[in-house]
Amino acid sequence: MGLDFVFKKLIKKQVTYQSGNLGLNLLITRLQGKYSSNQTEEELNRCLQEMQAFFTKYSSIMQKDIEELKKL
Amino acid sequence: MLISLEHAKKLIEEGRVLHIAADESLLEQLPKGKWIAGTTPYFITDQGGITCKDKLFVNEIGCAADYKIMVYDRENILDITKDAYSNGITFLIMPYASDVAIHYAKEAPNSDDLLMNPTVGWISGFDLSSGSSAKVYDGSSGKSYGDKAVALHICLSDDKIAALGIVNIFNVNENDAIIEFTEDKLSVTKCLVNGKEMFLSDYIAENNIDTKVPLVADYNGTLINVSIKSVSMENKTVDLYASVFSGKQYRFASPVNDYEASFAEHLRQFKDFSPIFSCNCILNYLYGGLEGKSTPPFTGPVTFGEIAYHLLNQTLVYAVVTDK
Repeated sequence: MGLDFVFKKLIKKQVTYQSGNLGLNLLITRLQGKYSSNQTEEELNRCLQEMQAFFTKYSSIMQKDIEELKKL
Repeated sequence: MLISLEHAKKLIEEGRVLHIAADESLLEQLPKGKWIAGTTPYFITDQGGITCKDKLFVNEIGCAADYKIMVYDRENILDITKDAYSNGITFLIMPYASDVAIHYAKEAPNSDDLLMNPTVGWISGFDLSSGSSAKVYDGSSGKSYGDKAVALHICLSDDKIAALGIVNIFNVNENDAIIEFTEDKLSVTKCLVNGKEMFLSDYIAENNIDTKVPLVADYNGTLINVSIKSVSMENKTVDLYASVFSGKQYRFASPVNDYEASFAEHLRQFKDFSPIFSCNCILNYLYGGLEGKSTPPFTGPVTFGEIAYHLLNQTLVYAVVTDK
């Protein structure tokens, strides 16, 4: 997915993005916490997969978030 | 909508899939059917907040392509995400102060698939003036429980998708003290205030904190409340209505002077909204004097805890189903 690079930066807290979507904000918080306590490539990839799965499922209502994330 | 017992019976007998909130005396009279329910005698209607024991608040889940009702206890409540439909929404009701609710409060945020499956719901309560007990009902079996959770898993058609949201009227002052905890708990003694260890009860007393305001944590821009249940200076213990989590930074919220006005301001963006479900916290109802006051477009039960993925406090929660 084209947003993987941004997703990784989000997970690592290298960029900030606050959504109007409750589920996405809770997910970002959760993944940042998971990676923060286990800063390995494996954990990063697990977190990335969760983010990808969320966006795949909710892509139809996440268009605004997708456009904003592409700008980061 | 708030309807009569006879109307509710008719909807059940017609085979409608229903989420129901009402006083226990009414729920006991309902026939078996495709419904779940929880006890509360408090509601927010189009005409405002009301205490009512002769009507039921019924949400018909007309968007259900399929459904299943399941009962959970503290041992398997986190299976709720595995049992959910891949494209659906789950309505979850748990009794106030039950082990299953306490377990969910602490563990749900750690559940791997929680955010992939929208789970919305509430903690059932009781008439505070008479002190009865909180219950949930599995309409398919006709059984009620004080110690289990009921879930109505809804399958949506492929062209629909569910989303959850919250309205939190509480804000924080970024200059206020940061409070942190070393464990995930619903009852706390010590905490760190700006990095310095002290009893939370002492901090509350020394700073004249109004315990009607919640602790608030920032989840990537979404503010999540944890409400104060009681403070014991003798035991140096503060009991909470939800869990605080280690690793999160909390601040006490700024007081809200006018709950109705604050809700009105927050709800302006929802003018043409049509939620399929909504609930609001009993603490907002009591502290905010919401009896007779409305929160359009949101109506629904007044609840002893709210669920939008996590267990929440002092929050309005809603669910919508939209076209993909």
